[in-house]
Amino acid sequence: MRGSGKYLPIVPVLAAYALLLLYGLAAPGKWQLVAQLAFYCALGQAFNLFMGMTGYVDFGYVAFLGVGTYGMAVTISSLSDGGLGLGIILIGFLAAAVFSTILAMAVGAVALRLRGAYFAIATIGVNEGFRYLIEGARIWNGADGIIFSRHLKTALGRKMAMTVSTFWADIFVFGVAVLAAVLTLYYLRNKVGYALLALREDEDAAKVMGIDVTRYKIIAFITSAALAGLLGASGWALKLTYVYPPDVFEIHYTVEAIIIVLLGGAGTLMGPIAGGLIYGVSKYFLAITLPGFQLLIFAPIIIAIIVIFPEGLVGILKGKVHGTSLEKFVI
Amino acid sequence: MLKVENLQSGYGPMQVLWGPDIQVKPGTVTSLLGPNGAGKSTLLWTILGAVRPWEGKIFFEGEDVTFEPTHKKADRGLVMVPEGKHLFKEMTVYENLLMGAYRKGAQEEREANLELVYSLFPILSERRTQRAGFLSGGQQQMVTIGRALMARPRLLMMDEPSQGLAPKIVMEIFETVEKLKEEIGLTILLVEQNASASLEAADYVYVMHEGVIMAEGTPEEIEASHEIKEAYLGI
Repeated sequence: MRGSGKYLPIVPVLAAYALLLLYGLAAPGKWQLVAQLAFYCALGQAFNLFMGMTGYVDFGYVAFLGVGTYGMAVTISSLSDGGLGLGIILIGFLAAAVFSTILAMAVGAVALRLRGAYFAIATIGVNEGFRYLIEGARIWNGADGIIFSRHLKTALGRKMAMTVSTFWADIFVFGVAVLAAVLTLYYLRNKVGYALLALREDEDAAKVMGIDVTRYKIIAFITSAALAGLLGASGWALKLTYVYPPDVFEIHYTVEAIIIVLLGGAGTLMGPIAGGLIYGVSKYFLAITLPGFQLLIFAPIIIAIIVIFPEGLVGILKGKVHGTSLEKFVI
Repeated sequence: MLKVENLQSGYGPMQVLWGPDIQVKPGTVTSLLGPNGAGKSTLLWTILGAVRPWEGKIFFEGEDVTFEPTHKKADRGLVMVPEGKHLFKEMTVYENLLMGAYRKGAQEEREANLELVYSLFPILSERRTQRAGFLSGGQQQMVTIGRALMARPRLLMMDEPSQGLAPKIVMEIFETVEKLKEEIGLTILLVEQNASASLEAADYVYVMHEGVIMAEGTPEEIEASHEIKEAYLGI
């Protein structure tokens, strides 16, 4: 795909996020739901950038959100007296991206040498290992976590601190989602994307074609991890203004990310939005209508969807619009 | 053009190559014969660097490339057609071919090479928008060969290109091999189980067994030796 219109698929993505945001602002009492949905979309979008495009499943993904959360927490709790104003949040995001990138380089250097199932197994313990490292070695206050609501108020003032954690944190989540989508599209439409697509389909053939597969895997892995760090910093750190190791290194979130990506369509641009919305909305309503049973009902539904639509919803949609004028909007 | 000396490699603790020496002269088809498990594919993968050499040397056009990474070797024109139709099944024929021209040097000659591939395999031009996974076995093999040609090869290593194909298609593949040599002057290192067809196509033959070269010579010399034919080639 070359020439004009190669970035057109960003239009439906931006429209979807804009509608979701408008709904949240307009409908009374729905902001928390909307924020949760945006979080799931962003999580899927960031996770998809690596898993969807390479076919490698990283079971330790939540660790990147975790260290990102710490990046923000450590920044705010240690720099709150510096008189940085809102700049402290910018530094926090920067720290989050740096922390998760460093972790990604460390994990990637070892795990990315492995393929398929071996990669998945190697990453499965990363989050647990990191959690126990923080608790055991008493890094960043160990098991006590970091509570930094007081520091946030010192840095920004009481009123601004409130607005940041109740409103701006969620807007930042939207921002991470859009950023992840833009990067995904950029990769898909450039050499990186073709390299990743090739290695997902046949890693040996990709190597033979002269593609430095390790390099592109690392690029995707680090991008995806840095986005996770930003998501942790906004959706968790700024929103909650505290961080505890058991909360942010919970494998459950990795599993949710996998489900969202598979539901929507791995390796597609729109997939994580579709997956995130469906997953978030059904989880919400099942929790209201059948409290306590939601997982029992949810699991078979997800299994059924994945068996019937192995390419995910956007995978199906891509097939349907093939050859029509809508084709250039859907990837 | 290619010279391999005392090459040793394997997987984990298991050694597969026990020091074969081979040479490929420019403009020739060199054939590597031998039974299953002789280490023929491993030899190709090791030359390419996807399997790491333990010992020995690999020279390509006079330069020592023993430990060069695979993508660097691709830049030098050392290209492989892997065994068993390693296609990008979800991509179209056209996209598969473009993937072949992934490296920068190959990109510049993309259009010319594309034309060459379409003239060699006109059917691929007709099927260019079809998904590669839906093609017949023979056509899939044409895509893998075409994709390798897009990479601007100087030495093309073909790993069992006739595997699993109908006899008629096998003949076509061998005709293609001849054409590549005669018309484009490509140098080819051919690994085959189909001994008789490959003896016919080759200028020089190596017979491999259990990781070492057991015999070598012109096809006529190999044909003439009953021991070699019976012991290693089963013809």
